[in-house]
Amino acid sequence: MGSAGSYGVGTGNSGAYVTEISEPARFEEEIRSLIQARFDAPPVSGGSFTALLGLSANQAVGLLHEPGAGEISAPAASSSPTGLGHPLGCSPTFPSNAALAERAASFPVFAAADSPASSSDGGPSPPLKAEPPDPDSSPPLPVPFDKPRRPAKRKDCEKQKAKGPGKKIKTAEEQTEGDQLPYVHVRARRGQATDSHSLAERARREKINARMKLLQELVPGCSKITGTALVLDEIINHVQSLQRQVEFLSMRLAAVNPRIDFGGLDSFLMAERGPLAASNGRGEAALDPVSWSSDPAPGTGLRTDLRPSQQSSTAWVYPYALIDHGTSLFGYGAANSVPLNSNQSKTDL
Amino acid sequence: MQVTEAFKHAFLKQMLLGFQASAVSTKSMGFQERKNAIKLSADVAMAVARGSRKWTRGLIAGLSEERQNRSFLRLILGEQYESLLKPCHSSWKIPRCKKIVRRSLRICWRKQKKNQSGVLARTLVEKRTQELKRLVPGGKSMDGSSLLDETLDYVLSLRAQVDLMQSLLTTFEASKLRSHSKRRLPERKASYVSK
Repeated sequence: MGSAGSYGVGTGNSGAYVTEISEPARFEEEIRSLIQARFDAPPVSGGSFTALLGLSANQAVGLLHEPGAGEISAPAASSSPTGLGHPLGCSPTFPSNAALAERAASFPVFAAADSPASSSDGGPSPPLKAEPPDPDSSPPLPVPFDKPRRPAKRKDCEKQKAKGPGKKIKTAEEQTEGDQLPYVHVRARRGQATDSHSLAERARREKINARMKLLQELVPGCSKITGTALVLDEIINHVQSLQRQVEFLSMRLAAVNPRIDFGGLDSFLMAERGPLAASNGRGEAALDPVSWSSDPAPGTGLRTDLRPSQQSSTAWVYPYALIDHGTSLFGYGAANSVPLNSNQSKTDL
Repeated sequence: MQVTEAFKHAFLKQMLLGFQASAVSTKSMGFQERKNAIKLSADVAMAVARGSRKWTRGLIAGLSEERQNRSFLRLILGEQYESLLKPCHSSWKIPRCKKIVRRSLRICWRKQKKNQSGVLARTLVEKRTQELKRLVPGGKSMDGSSLLDETLDYVLSLRAQVDLMQSLLTTFEASKLRSHSKRRLPERKASYVSK
């Protein structure tokens, strides 16, 4: 494995192995060998790492392909990093560099992809320069959600024409589906300049255009409009109108509010909060499906002063039982296993 | 493009906690005060439920600039508050050689001098981008593509906020109506009896 030559096995050079991304299939084994050589630990740690890899791969793939997940899809791809963030908590034997581990954990996502027929570029070796200063200097917090950006940045350094079916814009989903490689191959189209500046510029412009298209789909009435300035106009109007709506609604809520006694929600909310649970110990009563189905006694209005007792949960049920015109608030939550009313319909955003 | 149920759930929960924390239902507040407290609570709930994004950090930073909000923020966020306020290195600058950067800038500038075609379009777009940067919280320190990213996210969250507040409103109004009518009913019965 010629690519293994650049590894600093046993030297503790954590930055080096990150650069070798072109062969993810072998990559996993490289990591494993590196880790095991480095830490000389019982197979548990190597095993835990592979378990980590397996876990994070499945989780990430599952997260990304889950139909009901409905996370904000393309541009942010924040779901995958947050999903990947979790497994790291469960392997404490693992070494210190959390940023390293997170990045490593994301790679098998690509390795686990279906098509083994990667657009094989044995040709140009991936650029090494951007990576080395980064890994150890970046603290863990921004890395998770900066991660999708970094592959995008790497393409700016990729100044060479590479094989591939054309320009790929990186989203995490695309990566797990077809591409194994976390950086973009830029192919100069026919009749266009190929110097690095225009390539980078074009890449940037395409990125921005892709995001504009998404925004166009989001904002109603924008899809027919052509031209960046007008679309931006619409977006600005939409944002302004939403902000005004929030203002208006908060005013109306203020008008209606004095009648609602929020003290009664104490036990319910405290239960959700967990450690600050109210002393009444009625934590589980809050989400208890039994209380939902119980018919609230008329007159147990929220206006009555509620002691943290069993009354509080039924009182909280009361407003929701009242909603019979179709909108359901706790139809949102997964906790609501018991339908409140027969003619209830869940509102979908 | 969807918002997750978990987000809406967390949002609602946070908002109600916020209402409780700011003691919105006590009679001692004036109308304006109450409205501001509700709006503050809703905004913080949205930011907390969304997690860590550029616009959420910008939003909380913007809110904490007013002194009166700070105690509320500290109460709700707890220890996260301090870490959020710490100046985040949001621009992870890639260390670049100045000579190379200067050279490439010179080339770009020369190219721009040659084709002045899209200048009008560009200034229009520039103006709009500036405006958008003002609207989206924390937008000042974002570059073009991440600005659009954050706008997308922000619009989705704003929509969720509007929907949530609307359903909350209808709930409260409905419950108020019910309790009013239920109160009146025994009175009416009494009047019949008396007749």
